[in-house]
Amino acid sequence: MPVLRGFLWLVGFLLLGQALVWSLRLPVSSGVVGMLAMTLWLILRGRVSEDIQAASQPLIAVLAMLIMPGVVGVFFIAEAFAGQWLAVGVALILGTLLSVATTLWLMLRFMPADAPDE
Amino acid sequence: MSESLALLREHLLATPMPAIALTLAAFLAGNRLFLRLNRPSWCPAILIAAMLLAASLALLGIDYGDYRRGAGWLMLLLGPATVALGVPLFQQLPRIRDLWRPILISLPPAAMLAAFYSVALAWLLDASPEVLASLAPKSVTAPIAIGITEQLGGVIPLMMGGLLITGVMSTACVGALARYLSIRDPRVLGFVLGVNGHVIGTVRAFELGPTAGAFASLGMSLTGIFSALFLPLAWRLLGL
Repeated sequence: MPVLRGFLWLVGFLLLGQALVWSLRLPVSSGVVGMLAMTLWLILRGRVSEDIQAASQPLIAVLAMLIMPGVVGVFFIAEAFAGQWLAVGVALILGTLLSVATTLWLMLRFMPADAPDE
Repeated sequence: MSESLALLREHLLATPMPAIALTLAAFLAGNRLFLRLNRPSWCPAILIAAMLLAASLALLGIDYGDYRRGAGWLMLLLGPATVALGVPLFQQLPRIRDLWRPILISLPPAAMLAAFYSVALAWLLDASPEVLASLAPKSVTAPIAIGITEQLGGVIPLMMGGLLITGVMSTACVGALARYLSIRDPRVLGFVLGVNGHVIGTVRAFELGPTAGAFASLGMSLTGIFSALFLPLAWRLLGL
């Protein structure tokens, strides 16, 4: 049952995140607060238990699938934004190209050059 | 005969199972096609899968709203999956700790510019405020971006589409720029993928290796947190 036990841990931290977001009126999602709480918990314990490992690895592997239902919606709203698709397309494509280049430049500029061992 | 088939179809579509089956099938088929095409960096598996899914919904005549209600059961897992990202984050902590300075210096401008470039370009091209609000969180991971878009007054399906295109473009651009500038540092590539390409970039980074994956998770979560605080504030200041 390691997967189930691990999943219970994940859901527990998600609930903790939800509780913190609600009671402190945080403007971020409960998943992110839960993730940070999980990281903090792992730091305190010093290692990842097999249960948590067993549940998180498959979930991370299907992360892309979990956003598919929302992502597919874009194919069904084409008419609603007729006439704005050029703006949207240019903004997304050119905007992303620019921001990727900027982030790369910033990271290379400030990153100490040490040989990664991978 | 055809009448009973129509009834059967209606009966099946009343449960969330067809939506879940279609999503799983499209995801697996997309992945398989992606491997068959030798992992093209310009067309990640999720783009293939999303197009397959959209095509099957159209062919089967399933209303997107109905599909979305069923697939919502699957999307519930997005919460625990986000929490699970804490694990790679923890495992790579020693490496991240060594680099907190470049990360803290690069992140705020990178996250701000990711939103700014797109919003400015769309604004120049006369996009409506609704569209601008949907484009602003384009580099933010889905569960956070949904909250931001609602706050700014954007349209969620449009935002999610923007997320898809941004993710796909980020992996393609990072791939191309890395090859062109011969950058191999998995920390830099992972971080850039996570900051710009949210989940889609992070999935790509995990393909590059665990270090890139951890830096992508870090970049993605920091961008999400920072944008959730910064975008609503910027929106108010700009009076949009």
